[in-house]
Amino acid sequence: MKIVLFLLAAASVFAQAGRTLTAEQIALNVASFDKVWSTVRDKHWEKNPGGLDWNAIREEYRPRVEKAATMEQARAAMSGMLARLKQTHFGILPAGGYSEVGSPTGSGWTGIDLRVIGDQAVVKSVDAGSPAARKGVKPGWIVVSVDGRELAPLIAKLRKMDEQSRELMLYRPVQARLSGAPGSTAKIAFLDGGSKPVTVEIERVDAKGEWASFGYLGAMPVSLETRRLGNSGYVALNIFLDPGRVMPKFGDFISSCRDCDGIVIDLRGNPGGIGAMAMGMAGWFVDKAGLRLGTMFMRDNELKFVIFPRAEPFAGPVAILVDGASASTSEILAGGLKDIGRAKVFGTRTAAAALPSSIEQLPNGDGFQYAQANYISEGGKPLEGLGVIPDVVAPLTREALLAGGDPALDEALKWIRTQEKKTK
Amino acid sequence: MWIAPALMLAQAPAAAELPKAETVLDRFVEVTGGKAAYEKRKTETQTGSVEFVGQGVKGTITAHAAAPENSYMSMELEGVGRIEQGFAAGVAWEKSALMGPRVKTGGELAQVRRESTFNGPLHWRKLYTKVETVGVEPVNGEDCYKIVLTPAEGKPETDYFSKASGLMVKRVMVANTPLGDIPTETVLSDWKQMGGVLQPGKLVQKAAGQQIAITMDSSKVNEPLPDGIFDLPADIKKLMEKKQ
Repeated sequence: MKIVLFLLAAASVFAQAGRTLTAEQIALNVASFDKVWSTVRDKHWEKNPGGLDWNAIREEYRPRVEKAATMEQARAAMSGMLARLKQTHFGILPAGGYSEVGSPTGSGWTGIDLRVIGDQAVVKSVDAGSPAARKGVKPGWIVVSVDGRELAPLIAKLRKMDEQSRELMLYRPVQARLSGAPGSTAKIAFLDGGSKPVTVEIERVDAKGEWASFGYLGAMPVSLETRRLGNSGYVALNIFLDPGRVMPKFGDFISSCRDCDGIVIDLRGNPGGIGAMAMGMAGWFVDKAGLRLGTMFMRDNELKFVIFPRAEPFAGPVAILVDGASASTSEILAGGLKDIGRAKVFGTRTAAAALPSSIEQLPNGDGFQYAQANYISEGGKPLEGLGVIPDVVAPLTREALLAGGDPALDEALKWIRTQEKKTK
Repeated sequence: MWIAPALMLAQAPAAAELPKAETVLDRFVEVTGGKAAYEKRKTETQTGSVEFVGQGVKGTITAHAAAPENSYMSMELEGVGRIEQGFAAGVAWEKSALMGPRVKTGGELAQVRRESTFNGPLHWRKLYTKVETVGVEPVNGEDCYKIVLTPAEGKPETDYFSKASGLMVKRVMVANTPLGDIPTETVLSDWKQMGGVLQPGKLVQKAAGQQIAITMDSSKVNEPLPDGIFDLPADIKKLMEKKQ
């Protein structure tokens, strides 16, 4: 049987209304706690998980779950225990949340992709033909509020979080403020290019991409965009899911771009997904057998992230775009190809959240994400806590966006053209 | 942790009391149908389901096999896509929605060749250069003969056969893969008549921290196989041509 590796992004958190628990629910929560605790004890790659006395941790947190009067309190106790590890990819995903990420409620999309620059939510791009594009929204505009709710307090609150994965944690909740049911309307207050207030009502439509699910992760829209920018190929992937559809489309594009002077892979905002897809994609850019992106280390075993070269890989320059919201599998692909000298990385440092993990269902119905291995990129350094440092640091700026630019992409294309000259 | 192996050693009968591995392996052939029943089988198509236990990932399996050593397996996993593997004319290959196509070599090739040998239980003398009974150990409460089988190429495999029924209960081995040597443990159960012999209806495999349950639902023997089912896929042919 084949071994399929599951590398997923940092856990999302979904709210659920509080209510008093029955004796049966309390028993299920305690059983869930036991499963969480024992899974970490048995599967964490360190014999003493996080350097902690894991038995003492159990004595500290189990009574809190036994006494929890609401699901929120029970989850808080379990999450609190996992937080003691100080590692990403450990989390409790509330039932009705993790399995319904893809439910139509909240999946409506305006066509705007946001990034937090400084203390402001700035429009990074507007999808051509989307409702926002039709209303004249432009990159570089600042989103002040959505449906009367200002974004500044949310950004200020999220900024207090751990610096390590701040950008990843900022991106999703802020972007989520634009979401709503398809067919609903978002009343968005902007500051336009001249910093003049503009309020626009924008209809939310079905999200870009095709819905795909994976295990208990639930359905999400998966978008693979491919196009030519001059004589360079450009591929943008929003999440590493749906390999049955994404991988052939990715391969077809690379094959069709064999005459391109270079290829840009845009992984900005990509939180990760199925780790093995990184190996499969890397095979399109490597001609030598035996190379690898890195190695995942479990307690008693290790798995090499080997690249299997395709019959006709792309031989030209490869540029990968990343930012602080590029996590997990994005970091494995970008970091690995950088380490073996096959790609140059542009943008800003990645989320530093790259631990191979799985999601299992707990007796109380919640999901439990846990990392079962450490991951060391081929350069010899872990990605967790360090991330991928770009070769060319090119942060997004509002000024560049307003001028129609995209610093990381512009630098990547400039580099590709330099490479072309070198080879001619 | 120190006590368990010592206790097992204490329970194991002296080597002189142990049956020869040859006897255990031949008995397995007998209890699963006998040589004649195996020899009637020339092709087989099996279908079943697969589940990554606890992770909500499920799928289906279809496997075709033919004498003397041809195999093709296709697994369709929800949310992943198709993973195919095969062996024919000395070439072992895999084509995965995740990692793309690849040709297997070295120890992995030898392992696939063994696994692809049709009516495998009947051919243990050809597949292994040395077999040895090393003890008796309980597996799920059932006393089993522990047999170590050493192939000409690759690491030894350890099979456990029920003392009472003679059926195989567990296999422990190290899977040789480019990702690394992966220790695996497969528990076989729910033995039933399929394709003219007794076969396990359920296999639960533990590998790399994951548990995979496979349930075989049906088996058809000696029926026509799909045309060209053992032909190398175009992607694999290209890789082979590149190699040469």
